[in-house]
Amino acid sequence: MGEKVFMQGNMAMAESAIRAGCKLFFGYPITPSSEVAEYFAKAMFNRPEEEITFIQAETEVSAFNMIAGAVAAGHRAMTATSGPGFSLGQEAMSYMSCADLPAVVLDIMRPGPGDGDIMAGQSDYYQLTRGGGHGDYRNLILAPYTVEEGCRLMQEAFVLAEKYHNPVVVASDGNLAKLRESVELPGRLEVPAPESQYNVLSGFDPAEREKHVYLTGMNGVAEVIMINERLQKKFKAIEENEVRYERYNCEDADIVLVAYGSLARVCISAMKLARAEGIKVGLVRPITLWPYPEKAFADLNGKKFLCCELSAGQMIDDVKLSVENKHDVYLFSRWGSILPSPKEVLADIRKLNEVK
Amino acid sequence: MKKELLFSGIGGQGIMNLGEILCAAAIKAGYNVTFSPVYGAEKRGGRTMCNIVMSTEIECQIVSEADVMLIMDEASLADYQHLAGEQGVLILSAQVESTPDSPCKNIKTVPFIEKAMELGNAKVANMIALGFVLKYLDFIPYTSVENLVKETFASKAKLIPLNLEALKTGYEYEA
Repeated sequence: MGEKVFMQGNMAMAESAIRAGCKLFFGYPITPSSEVAEYFAKAMFNRPEEEITFIQAETEVSAFNMIAGAVAAGHRAMTATSGPGFSLGQEAMSYMSCADLPAVVLDIMRPGPGDGDIMAGQSDYYQLTRGGGHGDYRNLILAPYTVEEGCRLMQEAFVLAEKYHNPVVVASDGNLAKLRESVELPGRLEVPAPESQYNVLSGFDPAEREKHVYLTGMNGVAEVIMINERLQKKFKAIEENEVRYERYNCEDADIVLVAYGSLARVCISAMKLARAEGIKVGLVRPITLWPYPEKAFADLNGKKFLCCELSAGQMIDDVKLSVENKHDVYLFSRWGSILPSPKEVLADIRKLNEVK
Repeated sequence: MKKELLFSGIGGQGIMNLGEILCAAAIKAGYNVTFSPVYGAEKRGGRTMCNIVMSTEIECQIVSEADVMLIMDEASLADYQHLAGEQGVLILSAQVESTPDSPCKNIKTVPFIEKAMELGNAKVANMIALGFVLKYLDFIPYTSVENLVKETFASKAKLIPLNLEALKTGYEYEA
């Protein structure tokens, strides 16, 4: 492992991406993601040995399409953006998914819709986990809750993108992005970057790959069926192999909190406060938002669930699906910007504890 | 173990510097540390506030019941005193004139600026504050903070003795 540093979330994750061998960054500045772009821009000038290229695109539409070109040519490339910029990138996300391109995106979530606000939010959940652009596709979504986990997942994003030939999005938020935290930076990623030839990619099965990319221009029923069947086979493999989550104190719990990202930390402290006053509370913390960790709920029969989100309630749909609507699922909802305190979550836990 | 700290003042008072030194010392002592700075939009004289959480496990990263709150100006008291914990300590610069209305009843008023001027330089008020805050954080070794102060001023070595003296003044001040 690497050295312990005290670093801002955005910068630590940018450094981890560089150490993962990401040499190309295309982006357009947007708060609260801009330090990632700034970090790559500085690295391009100050660390010539890294051979980094940073391009500030004229818009996110271009930045996302630049990634498509770069990864199709066998390079590790990424962008970092936030809600409005991520929306602009959705057309390219759909095309990259269709073409099996291993793009990596860091989405620093903030509250929406529209311009919203520039601090922490989780209102991109639907957009992240349901595709976001047009068509039947899925992105693999990784949601860290600390800067250190963010650094690990940033590197893993490249590994997973290349393993499945699929876009991967790391979903951070405005709190984690700006937080400075003690963190053990990961070392250099041992997995070599894909060969610098056409990478490419009809399918994650190497035997099926061809050395060309169709980004646009596919027509005809047969081809649409072939592509979709190929994609679904891939998504099934991801669902089988890549589910990640953590559970805390669930076995004896009467109430199970469900939370991800920076809000999960608020819930960890709330869980401790509740336990201190005798209310048995546990926590399920999804790390992959897609594929969703349904199996984390499999043995939690007879418990009440409190889904905590910085949105009007989006992940709660997945919690309900995971418990197959057999159990009561309640919502703790805040709009974001300012994180709620553990005591605010505790107040809802107390109320829920009274519900028969 | 979890300690929540909130320090707030006006740009130029060295609040962030104080917070950063404490964070570095807590990391050296093996704790998880989070630091969330808030800056006012003003170029000079704006708000500088930092939320610090030091813990043995991963915890909530925002301050909602401060164990130690340091307030250097009037406006900061109005904005943050409700976040001082009942079991914590609220440390006020003697320049703050209004009476606190906070859940925290353990209030210590310290003439940071006056003490700094007695040492010959008003700018070391933040080091006096650092020393005073340190009294409430017994898991951070004093010598570790001393060494970090030396490192902080390594490029201006002639300022080191004065800053160390200020640190000691704060640490030994009884309020």
